[in-house]
Formats: sequence, C-alpha cells, structure tokens
Amino acid sequence: MTIAAEKLAQYNEYVEALEILDEESRFEYIIDIGKRADQTPFPAEAMDDAHQMHGCMSKVWIVHGHDGDRHNFRGQSDAIIVKGLVSMMTGSFSGLTSAELADITIDHVRGLNLGALTMQRQVGMMAMLKHMQKLSLQADRADAAD
Amino acid sequence: MNALGQPTGRAGHNLAGGFDVDRIRQDFPILSRQIHGKPLVYFDSGASAQKPHAVIDAMTQVLENEYTNVHRGAHYLSQTLTDRYEGVRETIARFINAPSENQIVITRNTTEAINLVAATYGRKFLGQGDGVVVSAMEHHANIVPWQMLRDEKGIELKVAPIDDTGVLDMDAYAALLDGNTKLVAITHCSNVLGTITPAAEIVRLAHDRGIPVLLDGSQAVVHGIVDVQALDADFYVFTGHKLYGPNAIGVLYGKAELLAQMPPYQGGGDMIATVTFEKTTYQEPPYRFEAGTPPIVEAIGLGAAIDYVSAIGMEAITAHEASLLAYATERLTAMPDIQLFGTAPEKAAILSFIQQGIHPFDTAATLDRAGVAVRVGQHCAEPLMARLGVDGTVRASLAMYNTTAEIDTMISALERARTLFG
Repeated sequence: MTIAAEKLAQYNEYVEALEILDEESRFEYIIDIGKRADQTPFPAEAMDDAHQMHGCMSKVWIVHGHDGDRHNFRGQSDAIIVKGLVSMMTGSFSGLTSAELADITIDHVRGLNLGALTMQRQVGMMAMLKHMQKLSLQADRADAAD
Repeated sequence: MNALGQPTGRAGHNLAGGFDVDRIRQDFPILSRQIHGKPLVYFDSGASAQKPHAVIDAMTQVLENEYTNVHRGAHYLSQTLTDRYEGVRETIARFINAPSENQIVITRNTTEAINLVAATYGRKFLGQGDGVVVSAMEHHANIVPWQMLRDEKGIELKVAPIDDTGVLDMDAYAALLDGNTKLVAITHCSNVLGTITPAAEIVRLAHDRGIPVLLDGSQAVVHGIVDVQALDADFYVFTGHKLYGPNAIGVLYGKAELLAQMPPYQGGGDMIATVTFEKTTYQEPPYRFEAGTPPIVEAIGLGAAIDYVSAIGMEAITAHEASLLAYATERLTAMPDIQLFGTAPEKAAILSFIQQGIHPFDTAATLDRAGVAVRVGQHCAEPLMARLGVDGTVRASLAMYNTTAEIDTMISALERARTLFG
C-alpha cells in the first residue's frame, strides 16, 4: 500500500529540510527540533515506566492517543538529540491508521538521511517506529473488544 | 616499520629511543582514519583497544599459511601450529609471571573466565549460606555469575563499599571477611572509575582468614605490570581484546592446587582423556577446562599483542598513560560544568564524567561529531551508577597510542557541547 503524500506531509517536510543540509547542519537541526519540542510540554504523568521504551542509552517515552482509527503520538526523552529524533518520528507518523503505520518501513527512516550521523540512531528510530506500530495495533484490538 | 623500528608483521624485542607515541600510532592502521571528516580520536579502549599491525599480520599469516586445527592432526601443519598455540600459553604465563603455562586456561573472554570459576569452583566448594565478597564497582561480569550461583546454591553476595572518590573502603572490606565468607571476587581496576584497587592487600587480608581471591584484571592488565605471584592471587582473569589483541579470547590463571580440584566446565573434545559410553575421564588442567576447538587464530593474535606490549615495555606505557591522565584530569577539572567521577590516588587513564545540565548521550554525540569516540551509559556497572547517583556517564578510556593533543580535541568538543546544549 502506498500512503498518500498528504498524510506524510510532516515527514516530507523533514525529508526536504534535511536533504539540503550537510551532515553537521543536520546534527544541529535535530538538536533544534529537540529544543523546540519542549514548547509543547509533554505530560509529566506520562514519563513513567508504562510509557518508557527500554533498551536505549537515554530514556524515551511515547504516549499514544487515537481519534477514530487515526493514531497520534507524542515523544519525549531526557537527551535533547533523542528528543529531536523521537519528535521527528511521532510528528512524521501521527494521523495514520494502524494499517498505514504498518507500511512505514526502514526505508522511510533511511529517507530522513540521518544514518550517517550514526547507525545507532537509525536503529533507535526503528525501535521507536516498531513501538508506535505496536501501540496502534494494541489500541485497535482494545477498541474491537469493546 | 613499527614503533620498535622493525618491519611490521614481526614483533620486536628492542625499543630504540624510548617511548615514541608518534611511532606507536603508526603501528595502528585505524588511527589514520577520519570520522565525520575529522581525525579519529579513539578514547574507547576500555571497551576494546585497537590492534597494531603486529597482531593483524600475525593472524593473517596463520590464516594464509599455517591454519589447521590444533591438538589433533598427525601432520606437519597441525604439529607446528599446536607448538605455536601452546607457545602462546607460555607467553601469557610469562606476561603475568605465572609459575607454569599449565595454570593458564584459554577462555573466550573475562566473562567466561569468571563464569568458569563460578560454575566449577563455586559449584563444588560453595554452598548454602557461604559468602562471596565483591566490591561496589564491579562490572556485571563479576556480579551476575555470583548472583546465578546465589540463586542456585543459596550463597550470599556481600558488597564492599567505596568512598566518594572511588577508593575501596578497606575497613568495610575486612569486616566482610567473616566466618561465612568463602571467596573474594574483586576488580583490580574499575572499568568506570579507573580506580586501581590495593590488590595485594585485598589478597593478604583474605588469605589471613583462609579465603581465596579472584581478581578481575580486564582493565588492570592493560595499564600496568601484573605479577600474579607477587599478588598471590588465587585466580586472575583478563581478556585479549582490551590488551590490543583480538576479541573472543580470554585468560583464566589459577593456582595449580585449585585448578586440580575443579571439575570440568564444559564437556566435549580436547578436555577428555578417555571416553566410553560407560565412563569418561578428564584431562589435567588447563585442558580439562577447554572443551572443543579453541580460539586458535585469536591465541596467536593475543601472543603477538603481548609480545608487542612487552617489547615497548609496560613501565613505559604506564608512565605515558599517567601523564595523559594527569593532563586530562587537569583540563577537565578546569571546566566548571564537568563533574568527574573517580579521583582515586591510584588510578588508570579512565575518566568518567558528566557535563552539568547536559545528558551524557548529547555530550557523547557532540564528541562523536568531532571524531572523538567515547562510551556513554552505564558501562556494564549499573550498581555503581546507582552508588554514584547518576543514570550514566561519559567515559573516556585512554591507551598507549593517545596524545595530549587528542585530549585538547575532546576539550574543544566539550566546549561546543556547552554551546549547543547549554
């Protein structure tokens, strides 16, 4: 399934912004996104074990909500770079159905062109994507059971 | 030419002109790499050190011209490579001044060496209520095997505390050597703080009460001379890859009378004397503990690494690293936002720190942009992080090939991190 471009508007905006930057500028761009993420405060009560992703060198929390079959995410981290990355991921892939989310792949993550910064971050971003996919499916199942 | 003034591929035995870090650097091909367009500054040797040509060439030579299995074939290649492989055991024994090469057990790494002792000596000699003393600054490899034994046999794990500078509290340690303590397993050098523990005194106090001691020398063996007889260590363990050798090879030294009493670790080929379906008898140490085809090429590589280090001279390496440590400590403590962990008087060139108000990951990522490779996180020492009251640190672990100019590069990158994240 090909996801309509308008549904990935934020993602495409990131891709276009990053592709004209050199590597050093991309690094600073992510930091800038991480700093700006705090302009919309992340709910303090969601920074708990239940919302934490494990296995990262920094702490990452992701909260999920949905409007009908459209899933929305917010991310937070105690490291600014990771906060920038998780903000990009949640911003890029909010508003999709679980089926559309399932079609987001490593190619989308690679498309952001952040791999050169370090592989670990690309792996970390894949872990974020998988976590978001899992949350969307859990929510769908919970709704179906109601 | 290598730092010893000899063609690469041959371990030298004379160092003309004293310690020359520029020439040593030429022996490590990876150090000429650029990372993100900047010269690599490798400050992660505590995780794994880089390899000199002498090691790379020795391993390549075996793979290209000498490779076969050892201890088996009745043919020329097997006999000659077995001689070389067993010769490495002698090299290791000389390196740590073990009385005999038969007290050198080849393992995969330090972790396996400690697991081997826990699974053989521990299972045989430790039981319900017996105590094992570790310190508050152990690597997980010297915690978890004892916890597994605790769960299996009901032993008690006792933790000797450290003070705020990272020095082992020797009074508290001595107090733990009470009636039920049956083994001490303590690091010789902290992988996080760099603290060099008073190993000889640790052993003496334990021996006064008849308690054997295992010393984790993973970091210590890289930074200074280790003499297992002078230490009177009962077990001494270390790994090859931090000692400029390859990974997948480690060493367990044990006192002969202890090794002789220990049952096998794993079963299989090489460790047996005779096998029938009714009964199997086992080899004497060290072979009893080396089931299966050993890490042959890695052993040759480790032998070459020890020859390389020995030819440069551990005393010269220790002196160079001490000057690096002093310089790095001075530069870091002059930065008002740096909090340094581990300021023990006896310390190897390992510097753990955080930048106030900046997550260690952000600091490390900025260092990475400058080509500076450090480790970030808990360093396989989660209980120590809890003791220090932090989630993690940045760790710069230095080696013989590092320079003060590289420390300056790190300091500049830390200043940039302050600008970016402050």
